[in-house]
Amino acid sequence: MNDAQELLRQSARRLLESGGVSLVIGWESARGSERTRPAFIRSPEEAERLVWNRHCVNSTAKYLLNYRFAAEKTAVCARDCDTRAINRMIADKQLGREQIYIIGLPCPGMENAACLRCRHRNPLVYDELIGSPAEEQDPGGRFAGVEELEALPVQERRRFWQEQFSRCIRCYACRNVCPACSCRECYADQYRTGWQGKQMNAEENRIYGLTRAYHVGDRCIECGECERVCPMGIPVMLQTGKILRDINAIYGSCECGLSSEEIPVLGSYELGDLDEFN
Amino acid sequence: MELKKSELVNVLRLLSDGRELFVPGLSGGIKQYVLWQGGMPLLDGENTLLPPKDILFPKTEKMYSYRGGKNAGIQEIVSAPRRVIFGLRPCDIHSIKCMDMVFTGEGQTDSFYARRREGCLLIGVSCPQAGENCFCEAMGLDPNSSGSADIFLTDGGDSYSAAAYSSRGAAELERWKPFLRDGEQAVSHTHCSLAPGMSEELSRWLLEHFDDDELWLGSSQACLGCGVCSFVCPSCYCFDIENDGSPSQGTAFRCWDSCMFSDYNQNAGGHNPRPTKKERLRNRYLHKLVYFSQRHGVNLCTGCGRCISKCPAHLDIAGFIEKASEVCHDRA
Amino acid sequence: MPVTENESWRPKILAFCCNWCTYTGADLAGLSRMKYPADVRIIRVPCSSRVNPQFIIRAFQKGCDGVLVCGCHPGDCHYCSGNYYTRRRFMLMKRLLEYNGLDPRRFTARWISGSEAAKFRDTIIEATENIRALGPMERSPENE
Repeated sequence: MNDAQELLRQSARRLLESGGVSLVIGWESARGSERTRPAFIRSPEEAERLVWNRHCVNSTAKYLLNYRFAAEKTAVCARDCDTRAINRMIADKQLGREQIYIIGLPCPGMENAACLRCRHRNPLVYDELIGSPAEEQDPGGRFAGVEELEALPVQERRRFWQEQFSRCIRCYACRNVCPACSCRECYADQYRTGWQGKQMNAEENRIYGLTRAYHVGDRCIECGECERVCPMGIPVMLQTGKILRDINAIYGSCECGLSSEEIPVLGSYELGDLDEFN
Repeated sequence: MELKKSELVNVLRLLSDGRELFVPGLSGGIKQYVLWQGGMPLLDGENTLLPPKDILFPKTEKMYSYRGGKNAGIQEIVSAPRRVIFGLRPCDIHSIKCMDMVFTGEGQTDSFYARRREGCLLIGVSCPQAGENCFCEAMGLDPNSSGSADIFLTDGGDSYSAAAYSSRGAAELERWKPFLRDGEQAVSHTHCSLAPGMSEELSRWLLEHFDDDELWLGSSQACLGCGVCSFVCPSCYCFDIENDGSPSQGTAFRCWDSCMFSDYNQNAGGHNPRPTKKERLRNRYLHKLVYFSQRHGVNLCTGCGRCISKCPAHLDIAGFIEKASEVCHDRA
Repeated sequence: MPVTENESWRPKILAFCCNWCTYTGADLAGLSRMKYPADVRIIRVPCSSRVNPQFIIRAFQKGCDGVLVCGCHPGDCHYCSGNYYTRRRFMLMKRLLEYNGLDPRRFTARWISGSEAAKFRDTIIEATENIRALGPMERSPENE
């Protein structure tokens, strides 16, 4: 990955010097040798700060939303999960493809639990590719966690989720990091009595957790950032995972973020949809 | 006076008699302050993930219930439990001292906080092990001692040296007599992992560079605008008050709030004086490092390092101090 | 847990009924003097797709023991396609709620047209009997 790191820095330099790009989003070293943080490079000299190693865990794509009104293009270092996030935001009409320059990076997997379940290691869309293609893995068990929970009796499930919702501290890290959560004003920030109480108790947390899961569920790209950022270790993906699993079972194979022109399952219909409500 | 660690459980039993005793423990896999259920608390290792502030300043608390119409009225919801928090490290003791200044100092009393605080005994311990992001020494604290708790226990290996720092603490220590004996004063030698150079000079410099975009923008771009730092911080005390109910009846409650949320400063007319992450991060860092100490003489940041450990974007206030310090001296 | 000691407990059932079909059907049931338990409270909505999934969660939190969502048969929606969205939405939401620990018998979605007064009556009777057998919904003290 060290060669790729050098090539990445060279690309960034070139783009900032003459490529019509005013910002490159990537990663830089944070404290210690095992931590990185998102980097925002604006001049060719600063490109030296960019790193590309097994500790580049943060998703870079969501930050693009902060620069969508910039005069020039924004370049972004993107692994597959980042490209799916970009597709997600373009499909949701939050971003224009012409506003960004994607530096694709095949990824061997990072120091991150979500990477063990990764099914796509090579970027889906890019303007240039750095590094040799990564070998795909077939981790299986895409919905293993969901199925395990489904198998429990209803009272156990209620107890499990009651415990999880009690732990939530409503920091909204899961929402802020999620590429599918791009509303200018989130329902949870609206001051409308009865909708989302600000109390941090299990019941209001349940409203928040279930509402976000439902809002995102049919558009979730399964990047796992929500679980990584949760300070309380709540298995957030087990909610959107459930919705995705049901979508796959009922409406056919569904994986989000593979193209920038998908229509979400809940935003469309077929006349012959499965019907259980007669 | 010396307390052997083998006698600790007896003391805890004494403390929990008629009072709610909170000790460091595990709940849902997260190290935090929990009600003591017997046995040895998790005093060793790194500090808790969640700070003890929830015990005095709950995440959510009902303040009063109200009724409109013919029998209009307000009923305050009073909660004044008798509690003990055992195992507080100097950083967390300092955070409670800061919250005391805000909630019960300055000639005003926040009765909800004051009632809980009045009934709460604080027992500190010297820090057995610094976390990888600890820097309380840079914030003017000593991980090995604190005079701001009611009783402070210095860890001496297989026993503690116990000392009282308030009349309430002295009275409590009297009750421990059967388990105490004479002994050598223990000395703890824990040192912080990080040593960012915070100073009055840097404080002044930061204020002078309030409009320095490069300084603040550089640090704030990766910020996600979530509330993790504020909620794991032992000394963050902002709260929001809202109603739950209808105009005819309901309750008013308060809950934690974070200055990092985009709508924290949202004004009724639509104006937001802190419109971007840059302004909000600048406000947070200046509050922790400059404004509070200008007003109260001590840093609000306790150097506990929890925000550094838990920030999803890996932002680092100690790193910020280091970088700012460098720039400050370079330009001097 | 089924309530047997406290005979005075009556289930609270909330039924979201679309104005053009189900509500009309309920009206017809009334005109025809059909008998069904009075434990149901009807909320009239212009279309079953007006029902936000959050309404269901809130209903259970705020005191309801059972919830129904009823609308026109797919193909007959007054707004052409509203109930196609309803169908997808509640196929998924019902499963999500059950996954989160809700007993499947507490939430029902059904298509009831304006002339199906008997179906409306039977739906209410069935739901009420199910909820009575199940007992009150478990509620957290913080929501009281």
